[in-house]
Amino acid sequence: MMWGVMLILSLIFTDVVESTRLSPPGKPKLTGCRSPEKETFTCWWEPGPDGGLPTSYSLYYRKENSDTVHECPDYHTAGKNSCFFNKNDTSIWVNYNITVVATNALGRNVSDPVDVDVVYIVQPHMPENVTVVVQEVDGNDPSLLVRWEPPRKADTRSGWITLVYELRVKLEKEEKWEEHFAGQQKQFNIFSPHSGEVYMVQVRCKPDHGFWSEWSSTSYVTVPDYINRERSMWILIGVIAAFVFVVITWAVTVNRNSVKHFLLPPVPGPKIKGFDTQLLKAGKSEVLDHLVIQGFTSIPDFEDLLVEHFEVYDVEQELVLDGKDLQEVHLKSKDSSDSDSGRGSCDSHTLLMEKCGEPKVDQTTIMKDKVNQAGSGPLVRSNSHGYYMDAAKSADDTNRSWPTVFSSELPINKPSYHSIPEISKQWHTLGNHCPSTHKQDCLGKQPASYTYMPTNSECNISNSGHKRETTFQPSKSMEYVEVQKVEQENMLVLKPIAKARQDLYHLEFTGQDYSRVNGVVKDNILLLQKEMAAKDQELQNLVENYPQQQAGKPQIHMAVPLPYEGAHIASNGYVDTATILPTFSQASSQREAS
Amino acid sequence: MAQRFKGRSLFLTALLCLASQGYAVGLGDMLERASQLSDKLHSLSTSLTNDLDTHFPPMGKILMPRPSMCHTASLQTPHDKDQALRVPESELLSIARALLLSWNDPLLLLASEAPTLSHPQNGAIYSKTRELQDQSNSLSSGLDRLIHKIGSSSKALSPLPLQGGDLGSDKNSRLINFYFLLSCFRRDSHKIDNFLKLLRCRAAKQDRC
Repeated sequence: MMWGVMLILSLIFTDVVESTRLSPPGKPKLTGCRSPEKETFTCWWEPGPDGGLPTSYSLYYRKENSDTVHECPDYHTAGKNSCFFNKNDTSIWVNYNITVVATNALGRNVSDPVDVDVVYIVQPHMPENVTVVVQEVDGNDPSLLVRWEPPRKADTRSGWITLVYELRVKLEKEEKWEEHFAGQQKQFNIFSPHSGEVYMVQVRCKPDHGFWSEWSSTSYVTVPDYINRERSMWILIGVIAAFVFVVITWAVTVNRNSVKHFLLPPVPGPKIKGFDTQLLKAGKSEVLDHLVIQGFTSIPDFEDLLVEHFEVYDVEQELVLDGKDLQEVHLKSKDSSDSDSGRGSCDSHTLLMEKCGEPKVDQTTIMKDKVNQAGSGPLVRSNSHGYYMDAAKSADDTNRSWPTVFSSELPINKPSYHSIPEISKQWHTLGNHCPSTHKQDCLGKQPASYTYMPTNSECNISNSGHKRETTFQPSKSMEYVEVQKVEQENMLVLKPIAKARQDLYHLEFTGQDYSRVNGVVKDNILLLQKEMAAKDQELQNLVENYPQQQAGKPQIHMAVPLPYEGAHIASNGYVDTATILPTFSQASSQREAS
Repeated sequence: MAQRFKGRSLFLTALLCLASQGYAVGLGDMLERASQLSDKLHSLSTSLTNDLDTHFPPMGKILMPRPSMCHTASLQTPHDKDQALRVPESELLSIARALLLSWNDPLLLLASEAPTLSHPQNGAIYSKTRELQDQSNSLSSGLDRLIHKIGSSSKALSPLPLQGGDLGSDKNSRLINFYFLLSCFRRDSHKIDNFLKLLRCRAAKQDRC
């Protein structure tokens, strides 16, 4: 009884176990199809659970243009769970509807169908016979030549399938591959491989429309040690030389200034005593403008030229009058008056004026400014000082002032000049008024012109008597500078250079930098020359011979090496050539009491 | 006299060689150019298909007509390598040309429908269909020249018209028909490309393929 129950229970248990283990097969899955050369193809599947029973798998396919269902022609060629379609069973541009059926004793299961067109599943086999050789050409570094063959089954010769290739290379000791696309060619050159290293090369291929194959098996190649020691040494030397060059270049760049100073020492700037380059630069243009229209060169042509004195007017009084008005006034006065006196002012501070001014300051004029007349004082500096003559005294002094220009000793010279006005036949007074703005130019901005001052005939020649005839009244502070008077045929020459000439007289200031009258030519030409040297003897000669000069009707000749400077005067209205022609010109300059 | 004749014959031979060589080179270059165009054509169609696949209803491919429903399916073409290699060159060229001409109107339809396609990438799809048209036109003119050079085949293959000429009314059917038409063109362009590449290698007659 007990045994019977046990047997029944065991049977039941066995049945239960049996019933849970045995079942129809699970659903298989088609994993994919692949055609290596567009002529055949293979499909693979994964079996599902077999249900505990021996299960068979079948693959069925149906072409798109047929209702007939075929079973796989070849289950063995491609291995387990696969179906191989040979050439005869393979059509391209035709859809295959493929299913896999799993069958066992308990039932069957069908996979999901898959539609396959062979042209879209082309994945070739890997390239074959991949070889790498070292190519050594004379004179060049060796290169690696990689060759391969297309997969054997792929018919590339007829053009049925077109393959492109890709290869990858890496040093054996490194991790990263370097890929190169080779196109349709079946060889590839790798230039300049590392000397003495081992390279690994792989190749793969792809149809024109399809998938890449797997990489081929690795090919190894050893690059010979083609960089020998001698070459290495030269490379080392080259590198060191380049480094040294770079260091030197850097050092030079850093110390560029000092090197430049060493190689090209700076040229010292011009340093002329009393020469203010800044003022020169600032006033250059204006000075030139003023100098443009000078007609002073025509002075020598005057038949009569009488210069009695220079006048320097104070700005404050004559500011109202501009140059032209003043000039007209002078002209009128000349006509109306007996023209017994001329008045000249030195607008431009010529050398002559300088010379004229000095003596007056000492004797007859009241100096508002410090007279920088000392011989050691530069000419430029002296220009900045104006000479103001007292109106009351001016009449008396005008005659003296001019001679004083040429005299070193003022008191002595004074009397001798009185005779000068008498010599001239005609008296022309040209009163030139320097506007305040212009005066600035004259005084402040003319260092440049002053260098030429001796050559400039900037001193206005005026008749001493004219002073009273002018409409404007000179201030007390006005100072007259009598210059000279020349008779018609005589010329007074003012020249800057001390050229050797057969002069009768040499006029100089002792111990002064100013231009001096070099001499009066035989033909009654008085030359003014800028010279440092002072000769007492010449001075005496001048004093002594001066009467002779007057007697000979000296003609004042203003030698103007730089005609532009003469133009300066004209532009300011200092010289009216028309009026000058007959007699002489008078110019007056003003100066601001600064 | 004999020497002069010999010289003349040599000259004629040289001329013939030059002429034949020039012909070969010209044909090879033309086929090379044509195969490049056909390659581009097929690549474009593949790209278009991938674009459409990104947003295509899952049921679409089930509802889609079978490939045998393509309007060019009735055109007899080789279906494997052996068949293709047996087809004469002029006939292969005629097949390619007939296939291409059959797609003149459908490509126009695709280009006109692309902008209004209910697809997020219809802009890119539109530009690609326009490009398909351009490539197709230049390729067809090239094929005309090739046929003129090689000679037309005895079998006159006429292009097949697209039946219906409409993609449908609702947006889903339009999208599905668009996709179907495109898949048909994809296959045909592959055919054209494959045939032209066969011809290219035959013209070259060298081991460069």
